[in-house]
Amino acid sequence: MELFLARLTPFGELHGPTLNEAGVCSFAPPGPERPLNLDYRRTQIPPKKYLFPFREEILRYRAGAYRAGTLELPPLVIFGLHPCDLHGIAYLDRVFLSDRPDPAYAARRSRLTLIGISCTPDDSCFCREPQHAAPCDLFLDSRGEELLVTAATPKGEALAAAAAELLVPAGEESVPAEPGCLCPPQDPEIRFAEHPLWQRFADACVSCGACSACCPTCYCFDLREYPDLLGGAGRLREWDNCLFATHGEVAGKNFRPDRLDRLRYRFLHKYCGFSPFEGISSCVGCGRCKEVCPVDIDLRELCDPRAGGAA
Amino acid sequence: MNDAGLHTPWSARLLERRALSGDTDLFTLDLEKAAHEQLSGFVPGQFVQLSVPGAGEVPISPADLPGEDGTLTLCVRRVGHVTEQLHRCQPGDTLGIRGPFGIGFPVGEMAGRHVLLLAGGLGIAPLRSLLCYLLAYPERFGEVTLMYGAREPAVMLFREELAQLAARGGLRLFLTVDFAPEHPSGSFSCKIGLLPDLLKGYRFDAADTYVAVCGPPPVYRCLASELTEAGVPEERVLFSMERRMRCGIGRCCHCALGQKLCCTDGPVFRLSELRRIPEAL
Repeated sequence: MELFLARLTPFGELHGPTLNEAGVCSFAPPGPERPLNLDYRRTQIPPKKYLFPFREEILRYRAGAYRAGTLELPPLVIFGLHPCDLHGIAYLDRVFLSDRPDPAYAARRSRLTLIGISCTPDDSCFCREPQHAAPCDLFLDSRGEELLVTAATPKGEALAAAAAELLVPAGEESVPAEPGCLCPPQDPEIRFAEHPLWQRFADACVSCGACSACCPTCYCFDLREYPDLLGGAGRLREWDNCLFATHGEVAGKNFRPDRLDRLRYRFLHKYCGFSPFEGISSCVGCGRCKEVCPVDIDLRELCDPRAGGAA
Repeated sequence: MNDAGLHTPWSARLLERRALSGDTDLFTLDLEKAAHEQLSGFVPGQFVQLSVPGAGEVPISPADLPGEDGTLTLCVRRVGHVTEQLHRCQPGDTLGIRGPFGIGFPVGEMAGRHVLLLAGGLGIAPLRSLLCYLLAYPERFGEVTLMYGAREPAVMLFREELAQLAARGGLRLFLTVDFAPEHPSGSFSCKIGLLPDLLKGYRFDAADTYVAVCGPPPVYRCLASELTEAGVPEERVLFSMERRMRCGIGRCCHCALGQKLCCTDGPVFRLSELRRIPEAL
């Protein structure tokens, strides 16, 4: 493995799942202090941080005009992404690149090389089945002592070629899957179902927003502008959170003042999709929301007909 | 990639401002050429994102059709952080504009029909651009009627101008205020009562009329049932909706009405569409 990783150096700085001294798993450059941890379940913050930073300046106002900065970023190789996170990136690509591409996202996306790895789901995961292939440049599928390596893009082929003498031809082919979601879309009417869980969740939720912050496909953002002392200004784009009370605010009114309204909003966006992605669930089954919720809310319970959710 | 006007605002210079009421001014902006060209495709009911440098952006629906001289007119109330800063701007100051965004009134489809405009409070601003359009092409439309309700006479916007338009013919005008002071100043008379009450007593050719509504959200539900009762087909009742539109291009996800986004699927929605969105009205 180390030999293989060494061959990736020419393609960019290597980032992968690492453990810090506090035991937090995150995507970062591995080093002596932060060893690579390929046997991980999930990182706390999903890889969306590479594409859509928590806060970034998207415009600067100076001398009477707004201008977008140019992002010149060195290439990055992200190693060891699980299929759920790869599906998450594929979803964000659809949102930010399919129509009127977002310049900052496009710049950050184009520098990435994605190397996926198969995983072993735990109790928090809810992908429908272990995925042996996912949208990425190169996918490593664990087969006992061996890894089946599949290149899905020209970038992936270049990576495989660079490590050619470490690989042996495989007998079978693993075909990377189309970008898609692992949790089925839900009936929007569920949000108004007379289900006691809704009220229970609304009573329990503390609006901490952890579920959205750690979701690989949550991308709500706010735009803020701050003046500087020289008469200019910077416009920042930063993560917003549909569970925060300010999310539905306009001057003089709040369209979602209650927690129940906000939970419904999240449910609708995540499991039913907003225009133009109506009917598309963006839940990739990574299990982060379930793991981080301090009051054990799992909105998916509402989708379960046995619990009376799909009324 | 040239994304001017989409993600990056064009510069616009504040030409003049005129006070309309205590907290509402009419701002006239001088646009740069590219912005003017883009705005030439403006459809009444669409909105622009107005930038006030150092403060941020607000979605505003223009109060007039973009001028051929490259000007744009916005009617803005001082009500939040950005509009507070806008109200401190003086002629000559630089602002920014992105847009136009969203779907406006279906003016092509409305041709040949009567049009009834129902404006409440600041809702007169977006409807004024539609009114300007209707009056610019009188041969294309039937009778044009405006019912405009304000809280009190002092905050009734554009009232002299509207009265002049009505006097010239081509516009039937009904004004109403929620309440009036005991000693009104100036020569001004209108009904006292709420907009839905005004509508209740109005006889019109409902089957052949398009209705455009813009006003405070609480009045919508009431007007919707009045209009349906009057017999206006629900697909011809057009509501301009307000939500928190930050990006204007369907990304930031603050402005959803059900699964639709106010910024790209609206802000003008048909009542027939809104009926299918439980939280919309």
